[in-house]
Amino acid sequence: MFDVSTFRRQFAFFRHHHDWVYLDNAATMHKPDAVTEAVTGFYQQNNSNVHRGAHSLSQQATTQFEQARHTIARYINAQHDHEVIFTSGATAGLNQLAFGLMHTVLKPGDRILLTQLEHHANIVPWQLHCQRHGVIIDVVPLNNERQLDLNAYQQLLALKPKLVSFSHISNVLGHIQPVQQMVTLAKAAGAITVVDGAQGVVYQQPDMQQLDCDFYVFSGHKLYGPTGIGVLYGKTPWLEQLTPLYGGGEMIDSVSFVNTTFNTLPFRLEAGTPNIAGVIGLAAAINWLQQYNNTQIIEHKSLLLNAFFQGARQIKGIAILSMPVHNAGIVALNVDGEHPSDVADILNQQQVAVRAGQHCAMPLFDYLALSGAVRVAFAAYNTLDDVNQCLLALEQAVEILTA
Amino acid sequence: MNLEQLLADTDIALQAIQQQALPDIKQAKDWQTKYRILMQLGKQLPPLPEKMKQQELLVKGCESRAWLLHYHDKKQDKHFFVLDSEARIVKGLMAIMLCLVNGMSSSELAKFNLNQQFDELHLKPYLSQSRGNGLTAMAARIKACSSAK
Repeated sequence: MFDVSTFRRQFAFFRHHHDWVYLDNAATMHKPDAVTEAVTGFYQQNNSNVHRGAHSLSQQATTQFEQARHTIARYINAQHDHEVIFTSGATAGLNQLAFGLMHTVLKPGDRILLTQLEHHANIVPWQLHCQRHGVIIDVVPLNNERQLDLNAYQQLLALKPKLVSFSHISNVLGHIQPVQQMVTLAKAAGAITVVDGAQGVVYQQPDMQQLDCDFYVFSGHKLYGPTGIGVLYGKTPWLEQLTPLYGGGEMIDSVSFVNTTFNTLPFRLEAGTPNIAGVIGLAAAINWLQQYNNTQIIEHKSLLLNAFFQGARQIKGIAILSMPVHNAGIVALNVDGEHPSDVADILNQQQVAVRAGQHCAMPLFDYLALSGAVRVAFAAYNTLDDVNQCLLALEQAVEILTA
Repeated sequence: MNLEQLLADTDIALQAIQQQALPDIKQAKDWQTKYRILMQLGKQLPPLPEKMKQQELLVKGCESRAWLLHYHDKKQDKHFFVLDSEARIVKGLMAIMLCLVNGMSSSELAKFNLNQQFDELHLKPYLSQSRGNGLTAMAARIKACSSAK
């Protein structure tokens, strides 16, 4: 049985801030002691640059760094450690992909396929490069349940896109997309598959060999890890075809002003000194998380989600945009006729932390014909008491706004 | 509604806010009372007609949009404004900003210290918030009006 109070006690933030109800978890999560101690421990005990020092301190740091890569590769069940490329986050991973595939793989006149509910990070990098290289972007629409329309998806796949890129979980609505089915369909249509796991990685341990996508990106800070570290996973043959987005140290084999040859994977895609402490912190987060049973965590979160849905539906004047089924624990809602930032502002006065606005998903809000929404995002460390306090704060918001 | 009428109506509303609402805000015992007042303020200002919400009047926050129309009466050297915002609490806070500077001369506006005034009204935390609510952007826009041609 998952014991939320024991779990929660491992977070210094909650030991110090009893007064905050933190429900902005889709933006970033709090860090357990295991992570902050690993990061501090590295700086205090082992700090050295990796892969280059002529001294044993650097060798120790390198061992720890590569061990961390191994931990992460095992966690996502990558076939090889070198398929884990460290980036600054999911956004950086997608930018590397859009830049790195253009020209070498994506040619003028090719099509790629995105979806209506993508985060800007899975739209803008493609747009930047597609416009310059004459690559056409198609968009999968939503159905009435605000899930991706799989019929339309299949019709768009018939246009033979070279690449399909979609998120596992909508960062606004929390809806879980049928990623396995979507990857299989895309592969059958001959497309390269990219999965944005920014919100998905904390919901479900990703299994690269089972999912069989070509690329997968995620951020460490949405998986209990530090900010500024993320992973771009790719299958070896595809990673080898990527043009590096950054040039610099470590990623080269030899440099002259006539020609530069690149290092092997993963180093050719990791220019410059990496975020060593971030990598170690992320591996610590994963090691720590693995002592828990994720099925029990999912059950706990759905308990919170159901309690929230039940309570919120009884508050007159609240319109819920998310569906309770196939939902990873995120609820987008509005108070009828009110701007979401007013609602979030009143919640903030009651020390309930949520996000308001368009959540970097403007195309989704255009589609929904809404100017924004309040987003409540639950994590494993949230409690039923958090749910109740948020509901009370929402009642208060409705009361003040509609007075 | 023509521009002159809009400016005149806003001027009257801002004067009323300065006389009545500012003391109430200062004395508000709890945030609920303060918020109820702030939301009333937004309603007192005449809205900017949709067709006048031009791009150059837009003051962007991350979460909501606001518009500031500025008019400088050069003969009398007085600055007047019209305000609108999508969010009501933000609009109330912006109305307070404006009632403090409404009718000022260019040199008064240039010297105006918003931080100090908001501090006295116990509203300063709103200015130090991140760009989210657009208040700091609005404060900068108002200030820039002192040197506008």
